[in-house]
Amino acid sequence: MENTDSLDNLVAQVQGLSGCTEDLAHLASILKQSEEAISAKGAPRLHIAISLLDPAVHSLGYLFFLDAQSCDPLPKDQAEEFLNTAIHFINVCSKDQIQLAPEKFTMLCKSMKESALQLNSPMRVVLPLHNAILKLQPSPQYLTALHAEFFLVCVLAKCYTSASVVLEEQIFEIDPKKCLITPKDFLLYCYYGGMLCIGLKKFAKALEFFHHAITAPATVLSAIVVESYKKFILVSLIENGQVPSFPKYTPAVSIRYLKTCTQDYLELANSFSTRNISDLQRCVASHEDAFKKDSNLGLVKQVVSSLYKRNIQRLTQTYVTLSLEDIASTVQLASPKDAELYILRMIQEGEIFAVINQKDGMVCFHEDPEQYKTTDITQRLDEKIRQIISLERKVTSMDEHISCDQAYLSRVGRDRSRYDLEDYDLVPQKMFQTS
Amino acid sequence: MTVPVIVESMAAHQEAMEKTIVSLQEAINARRFGELASMCETFELEMAAKGLEKPSDWPYALHLLGHIYISDLNGARFLWKRVPSAVKQGQPELVAAWKIGQCLWTYDYAGVHEAFKGYSWSPAVQQIVAAIKDEYSKKNMILLSTAYSTISVTDAAKFLGLTESETIKSTTQNGWTLDSSSNMLTAVPMVTATAQKLDSSKLQDLTEYVFSLEH
Repeated sequence: MENTDSLDNLVAQVQGLSGCTEDLAHLASILKQSEEAISAKGAPRLHIAISLLDPAVHSLGYLFFLDAQSCDPLPKDQAEEFLNTAIHFINVCSKDQIQLAPEKFTMLCKSMKESALQLNSPMRVVLPLHNAILKLQPSPQYLTALHAEFFLVCVLAKCYTSASVVLEEQIFEIDPKKCLITPKDFLLYCYYGGMLCIGLKKFAKALEFFHHAITAPATVLSAIVVESYKKFILVSLIENGQVPSFPKYTPAVSIRYLKTCTQDYLELANSFSTRNISDLQRCVASHEDAFKKDSNLGLVKQVVSSLYKRNIQRLTQTYVTLSLEDIASTVQLASPKDAELYILRMIQEGEIFAVINQKDGMVCFHEDPEQYKTTDITQRLDEKIRQIISLERKVTSMDEHISCDQAYLSRVGRDRSRYDLEDYDLVPQKMFQTS
Repeated sequence: MTVPVIVESMAAHQEAMEKTIVSLQEAINARRFGELASMCETFELEMAAKGLEKPSDWPYALHLLGHIYISDLNGARFLWKRVPSAVKQGQPELVAAWKIGQCLWTYDYAGVHEAFKGYSWSPAVQQIVAAIKDEYSKKNMILLSTAYSTISVTDAAKFLGLTESETIKSTTQNGWTLDSSSNMLTAVPMVTATAQKLDSSKLQDLTEYVFSLEH
């Protein structure tokens, strides 16, 4: 009987304290204390409790009761019902209330995703998870633990275009306290984000995502980073024709071990750098199983076809005119007709500037006719300048923030005492010399 | 307990479907073809979130053509991948629409024209198919005129989806010349006009940039 009372009591408190901000803060702490008590109740009792609450008005309390239902893996019929309730809740819940319990909200959304996957219909949670991200974010610049979940269901449901808006969003804030994000969430965000960009053929953006995964601070090597690096190598070859070396801020453990984990891929990159198509094809054939196992074979094929393009592009730098036959034999295409089609394709995509003369079987290569004076170009330039200015403001404010940070100052102070006094003496002298 | 839920969802289902069809039709009538893909996608996801099954006559073909119209071949490709295979078998128009996308994807210029002609399109998609076809022919004409100095009549006809005599007629109208001994056309590059004027609002922008550089 006492149990009944405490649950009824809790429901009454949720109903009474869902009004103003102070009450809600108080309610949040009550609910957090009663978490165990709530999940100890059986599902039927929680059902009744939930039916007494309005998800839009009592969002915070509703969240705790609903999440308690999802603790164990649900049987199929219950998963269906839970999924429907959770989707409805996310649609109507109050942003201010759920932000008082971000960890609960994140857990609820993760269980919702699990239920959808269990029912084999990831598409059902594409829209709800996007909604959930918007409600959990204090502003669009925040990364949440739900970003990775959203990207994953977009990949599984083949809804790549639906992810575009979130992919384009510039993330500047990663706040573990407000958004409960772990390193794994961040790495998965980068990995799935990169995969989506590859599918949408936005290779430069994909590289950015993988780059963040590879250079994220770490003391042990993560499988996600290894897989990201494999895709990073392939996309680098497609986009830039070479694989860059690790930047200075890459964690030591990644620099040390990543290369040994990705031998097949680095051999491919080596072979690519010889610019010889048949060598490259041989290399692909000998590592085919590994690429297939990693589900990267499709990407590898795009690497091969990009070498043809790259080789044709190199010709444009050396020659003014060249016969189709010579092009075909130089870049190892089967026939002059194939070379013609490749060149036409590249002209269509604006990758080269050339004119084909079918009568003589010749190709004339031209310079880029862009004169950088159209309004279109000015507009793009303007946009870039604006981006840089806002970025510069962000960096300045971060710099100011760090300069005032107690921990940073005490560390810098400590380091300073290690130097000799002479070092200090040099500074004013130098200043005199220059002035 | 379960019966009323099902009844309610059936009613909601019906209503959602009807609304969708009406707003899609409105967009088509107003020739706002560019909005179709994102509209269809939103409807698709909303239906999925409600847990409703899409009916067998869901306008997938229109959705796919909507992606092609805005040159979003990736969108079309992923739509094709996520359509259940039962639907693909039941909607020959969808298959025909994908044939266009497939040929565009592989740069099979002649194939694209065949795909346009190869199916008798239903009234619902006729307008958008015609719009895609016009746009494609126009783009191809510009591409040919910039990518080729001379091209055989046979090849040009393939690219433009015309017969050889039609090709000669339409290209010579654009100032091309025909060398009948070799059956070769000499192309004249088409100049596309681009706006180059700057208006005075740019001056304001420049002032702001300089200001932010100095501070």
